[in-house]
Amino acid sequence: MLRIENLCKNYGKFRAVNNLNLQIPKGEIFGFVGPNGAGKTTTMKIICGLLSATSGKVFIDGVNVVDKPRALKSKIGYMPDFFGVYDDLKVTEYLEFYASIYNITGENRKKVCNDLLELVDLTDKRDFYVDSLSRGMKQRLCLARSLVHNPDYLVLDEPASGMDPRARIEMKEILRTLKDMGKTIMISSHILPELSEICTSLVIIEKGQAVMSGTVEEIMSKVYHSKTIRIKVLDKIDETIRLLQEYPDVISVENKGSNIVEASFKGDDVFLSELLVILIQNKIPVVSFNQPDGNLEDIFMKVTATLEEK
Amino acid sequence: MLSMKKVKFRLNPVLMKELKVKMRSWKAAILIGIYNLVLTLLTIFITKISMDEYSFTVSTDVIIGIYTFMAVMQFGLVTLISPALTAGAISGEREKQTLDILLSTTMKHRSIIVGKLLASLSHMLLLVVSSLPTFSIIFLYGAIGVKELLQLFLFYIVTALTFGSIGIFFSTFFKKSTAANVLSYAVIVFLFLGTILISLFYLELVLLPRTNYSYNGTFWLFYLNPAIALVSLLATQFAEGLGGVFPGLFLSGKQSGIQLWHINMLVNMIISCLLIYFSARKLNPAKKKWFS
Repeated sequence: MLRIENLCKNYGKFRAVNNLNLQIPKGEIFGFVGPNGAGKTTTMKIICGLLSATSGKVFIDGVNVVDKPRALKSKIGYMPDFFGVYDDLKVTEYLEFYASIYNITGENRKKVCNDLLELVDLTDKRDFYVDSLSRGMKQRLCLARSLVHNPDYLVLDEPASGMDPRARIEMKEILRTLKDMGKTIMISSHILPELSEICTSLVIIEKGQAVMSGTVEEIMSKVYHSKTIRIKVLDKIDETIRLLQEYPDVISVENKGSNIVEASFKGDDVFLSELLVILIQNKIPVVSFNQPDGNLEDIFMKVTATLEEK
Repeated sequence: MLSMKKVKFRLNPVLMKELKVKMRSWKAAILIGIYNLVLTLLTIFITKISMDEYSFTVSTDVIIGIYTFMAVMQFGLVTLISPALTAGAISGEREKQTLDILLSTTMKHRSIIVGKLLASLSHMLLLVVSSLPTFSIIFLYGAIGVKELLQLFLFYIVTALTFGSIGIFFSTFFKKSTAANVLSYAVIVFLFLGTILISLFYLELVLLPRTNYSYNGTFWLFYLNPAIALVSLLATQFAEGLGGVFPGLFLSGKQSGIQLWHINMLVNMIISCLLIYFSARKLNPAKKKWFS
């Protein structure tokens, strides 16, 4: 487990991290969401031993990062948001350099590097110079580099930034694979819909403080106090809206256009099945009937707006 | 029965990586070639014009002169290039945004500093070592032996490491390579000129009047001066004492006992170790503060 207790970090008079408390159980993909300047990168750097905290503690598997920094660095793989690469090094040489730092030698080193290149789909680029790779390839290479010593924990600061949509999808698949391998991943990103797809839990941080944490569903229910159902019909949209408005426990109904309506309700799966039966019995031509994935952007805007008002 | 732990010898990964990259291009070979060509041509030219036109021999004094010229030229190279090579070592990593990744690994900060120092100086040291064959022309005439040549090259290496450590030290403390470069050269200029000026002022205004102008030792600040150390080394090798060069500086030319250049090398090694230590401490963000 990764545990942060009362973490504070000051830059002069400016408090970047303000009494942050977090717990990340093993095997989770933990999302770290917040606006620019919220303290995400500072927190990640403190975890990785790149910055010292003003006060507070960070524990990895029960050990304070300050007490045994080298031992804990062998458990962490770090990928910064902005990073450079070495000119005149080939892709395999780049990975082998970092493997040598972690005392991975001989045939084992070659095997590790080959396996990692295969994981991030850069095998065909092994003999290319690193500075000739595209941005997305460099990001994938940096991810491979952070895995060279088989760490238990990955701290990834905006790993998908600057990537095209295809590359982001591939990155998500890699992260899912890593989770299945038992890695604990802490990931920060501004691409909120994708975070909500892969994170098992997350925290929203602003002005150095955690303002909300939990799974996406838990956060949704805290913020909205209700659930949402999205219904797409072939036609009879007005009748659909009328039926929903008349149904008890439906709080509000909104016409989204393109024959799509969203209704917020208080209820459970039994309620939803009954609602579907009512629509079918009234000969409403239902095309799709589903609960949309938690809209993290809406949650983020709502939560941070509340903090601004305070 | 004592159990023996297996000690694994491991080459510094940062040093190995930098050497691989530096030697990859043709630049390294061309630089070594041009440097040795220039040095050799100059040596041949000076030997030729000094040669007796009738007997085609060269006097010992001329050989010593050629040796001194080559020693000073090579020393100039070490002095001018060492700080420039290392002043961008750490600040350059910071500017390229590769430093954080390096610091997040399990590599000791001291190893990073030493690896960058040796890698930065490797090119210059390679130039110095590659000039050994040219220097060995001196052996033909018997004036200087292998021991003297090795002393000279050891002096170069220690001086290069010291000047390189100064560059690395400022490189660690400053974000920009330019600032580190400027400060490194400022310290070098102080070592060459500042030590002499301060010593002369102090001697003239304080020490000599106090001792009634009978002070005939060597003032301590001169031991830090690299140029004076080189002169001391050459004087020892030629067994020619220079006596009282100026008030507060006495070079005996004796070939036994501790000489000024010995002390200079010792002080330089201590300074290098201290600078490497403080650089490694500065690089460690989680270092315990001494006063808190």
